[in-house]
Amino acid sequence: MTDGIVFSIEEFAINDGPGIRTTVFLKGCPLRCAWCHNPEGWSPLPEKMVKRGREETCGYRISSGELAERLGRDRDLFRDSGGGVTFTGGEPLMQSPFLCEVMDGLKDMHKAVETSGYAREDAFRSVMERADSLLFDIKLVDSALHRKYTGAGNELILRNLKTLIASGKPFVARIPLIPGVNDTRENMEATASLLQGAVGLQRVELLRYNRVAGAKYPMVGLSYRPPFDEEKEPAVYDAFTGLGMKLLVL
Amino acid sequence: MLRALLNAEKPVILEGEKIVGTRTISRIPSIFTEAEWAEIRKTHTLHERGTVSNISPDYEGILRDGLGGRKSQVLERAKDPTLTEEQRLFLSAAVESIEAVQDFIQKYRVCARSAGLEDIASILDNIHSVGATTLREALQLLRMVHFALWESDCYHNTLGRFDQYIYPYYRADKAAGRITDQEAFDLIEEFFLTCNKDSDLYVGMQQGDNGQSIVLGGRNQKGEYLFNEVSRMCLKASYELNLIDPKINLRCDADTPLDVFIQGAHLTKRGLGFPQYDNDDVVIPGLEKLGYSPEDARNYVVAACWEFIIPKNGMEIVNIDALSFAGVVSDALEHLEEYASYEAFYAYVDNCIKAECERITQAHNNLYIVPAPFMSMLMGGTIEKARDISLGGNSNNYGVHGTGLSTAADSLAVIKKYYFEEKTLSLEELMDALHHNFKGHEALQEHLRNDAPKMGLDLEEPDSIGSALLKSFAEGLRGKRNERGGIWRAGTGTAMYYIFHAKDLPATPDGRYAGEVIPANFTPSMFLRQKGPVSVMRSFSKQKLEDAINGGPLTIELDESIFRNDESVEKLAMLIRSYIRMGGHQLQLNTLNRETLLDAKKHPEQHRDLIVRVWGWSGYFVELDECYQDHIIERIKYKI
Repeated sequence: MTDGIVFSIEEFAINDGPGIRTTVFLKGCPLRCAWCHNPEGWSPLPEKMVKRGREETCGYRISSGELAERLGRDRDLFRDSGGGVTFTGGEPLMQSPFLCEVMDGLKDMHKAVETSGYAREDAFRSVMERADSLLFDIKLVDSALHRKYTGAGNELILRNLKTLIASGKPFVARIPLIPGVNDTRENMEATASLLQGAVGLQRVELLRYNRVAGAKYPMVGLSYRPPFDEEKEPAVYDAFTGLGMKLLVL
Repeated sequence: MLRALLNAEKPVILEGEKIVGTRTISRIPSIFTEAEWAEIRKTHTLHERGTVSNISPDYEGILRDGLGGRKSQVLERAKDPTLTEEQRLFLSAAVESIEAVQDFIQKYRVCARSAGLEDIASILDNIHSVGATTLREALQLLRMVHFALWESDCYHNTLGRFDQYIYPYYRADKAAGRITDQEAFDLIEEFFLTCNKDSDLYVGMQQGDNGQSIVLGGRNQKGEYLFNEVSRMCLKASYELNLIDPKINLRCDADTPLDVFIQGAHLTKRGLGFPQYDNDDVVIPGLEKLGYSPEDARNYVVAACWEFIIPKNGMEIVNIDALSFAGVVSDALEHLEEYASYEAFYAYVDNCIKAECERITQAHNNLYIVPAPFMSMLMGGTIEKARDISLGGNSNNYGVHGTGLSTAADSLAVIKKYYFEEKTLSLEELMDALHHNFKGHEALQEHLRNDAPKMGLDLEEPDSIGSALLKSFAEGLRGKRNERGGIWRAGTGTAMYYIFHAKDLPATPDGRYAGEVIPANFTPSMFLRQKGPVSVMRSFSKQKLEDAINGGPLTIELDESIFRNDESVEKLAMLIRSYIRMGGHQLQLNTLNRETLLDAKKHPEQHRDLIVRVWGWSGYFVELDECYQDHIIERIKYKI
């Protein structure tokens, strides 16, 4: 049985898939998105965090069996509401063996995984096969810009997106709307063309930039200096409904 | 008295009004002089203001029989030669009160006619003596009756199962082709407006605490769910009007259609603090256990806040006193050293709760309530017995609130875990910390506030300790009789006692400072760092609430940001249904934005219409005393 590092479990997460859901945050992320609002999810290890003037440890070790058992307690609630569990992070695929074990322990439950898609292909496939649906982030289609704002190119991500589309697995495409970074017509159209014809696509969600994104940086000893204008309202450019895709702006 | 006041009222018909009757006298003079009150107090105790309050009149009956019909019943009864002088006096006062209301209707009729408002005049004509036949008549008669109750100085005048007693009139109108749904909706909306027009004149503990509650849904004797078109219209009208009255309760159970919860959740989103959800699966068996007939139990409604009462038959005083769980535990701690195990210590706590129950049940004698002849005409058994309702109805039970349950349970969990089991907390350290308000024990206090087990985390303990405390409370009251022949009912409400009891409460083992707030109602500690609403609901549905069913809801504050789309409203509906399915008895949800509240405190003039749920009722935030404002702000610090 594998241990994993979890940094939060959120009940009644209303924006992470259908029905009543619990969202599990797995610690560790290979990307460093300039707008990230969960910097405590970056490091794969437990770390000090100062909350309300009090030092705490962010992140704890838990075995896959224990986590599955804990999540399983709300089985009735999930079943009644068509809900389930969503795994996110950090980047949950960084702990794919652990994640797979937890999911194997929740066979009769709806499981969604939110991922940046930045993961080895075998890891991506093994998690995708176990999930009932994916929430797949598509931040920027231009790889150079992707590297500039997230610290890595997007080739791996686009390859995994292709794998996902080819599998027919239900998924939601999520695009964070960052003012002046990716809220352009060009990027939205490029994203739409990647998604065109994907039978598993349930809808596209645009997530407006969260102005309190910087709040947690000082808590983990970091400072927040976004290379874009935080105050600007991001543009909502709908390149999707015209192509028959459902769009939800959150 | 009622006649004099109704005579003094000047009829006012506002432009476009269809349902008339607006209060013009701002203060009802007391029936007694100060000296007379003082004389009464020498030999009697009074409850609150001393007049009849917080019961549910038989509107169904009066709308059916009409004022004239009721008067005939009284006159018939008065023929009985065996009546005593006192009984005769009561019956004649009753007739007098009915006639006063009829004359008042007549006065409005004259006013309407002289203003050329023929439709209003003819409606008033129709309801002067006989019962209602149309929806508009029913609502107009209801308005006049309700108006007269306020005018007769009864207060916390509830409106009961409005959708059930109004529905037959709606249906008759529809069947006869007299009304469209839109017209029916407009009338209901206008009736709701009348509840707000003069509500600033209605007294309570705070502005807004006026008891104008209605109850929708529930099942009938056959087990059919009774959510009808009128129920639906009520939720919609309340949503559109966005006003504090009437305060809506929704009776539901495990099989209530999700659609009903969704309609309720839309209203929750409004931030009015209602509907409140009441679980028939728990409440009805609980009331039956207390001795109510199955018919009465199934017909339950909700009093001004959350107490379960029976229309027509219940002359209960649902909030006669309150047990301070946290106070009892705090006192018991002074004897902690005498006990070698947690079980032995809890047995002592159990004894203390029962002793407190004994004291409470002995403390309420020689109760005097001001006679209420008109209210008597709306309550069962009064004509047969020829006795005023103030002297007692068909049931005369007393309810006792229980404050600080989670504070007490969390404190006992600390004692059990750290003192008895892990032995990491010594008697000396604990007592020194409590006696010195944690001075010099700041690290311990931090630890207790933040890391110790709390109700709301879905832990075996302290949840089971919460259950034990409620059990002790219920047992302490069980089998006892009050002077009116009624029983005592244990409950989980707090009313304003959560403020009173906290003030004198010393520091507690959950890390709370002396005098610091305790939560209102059946609610987690203010220090809970929430795992989330699911855990809170699980923690607060484990207790056997049918044994402590006086009323008092789990209260959860929601941040308004969760309502960004209809999907999330539907999810909230599912969550509410889950609580009902877990066996939770009552749920109150409050949608708030902390920044708005803080700003409203600073700039009240900009937030005149901001509505919040206080303890069991909704009111305008800026009208509240500061201690209540602060409590609301404090409790959303760890919002969900």
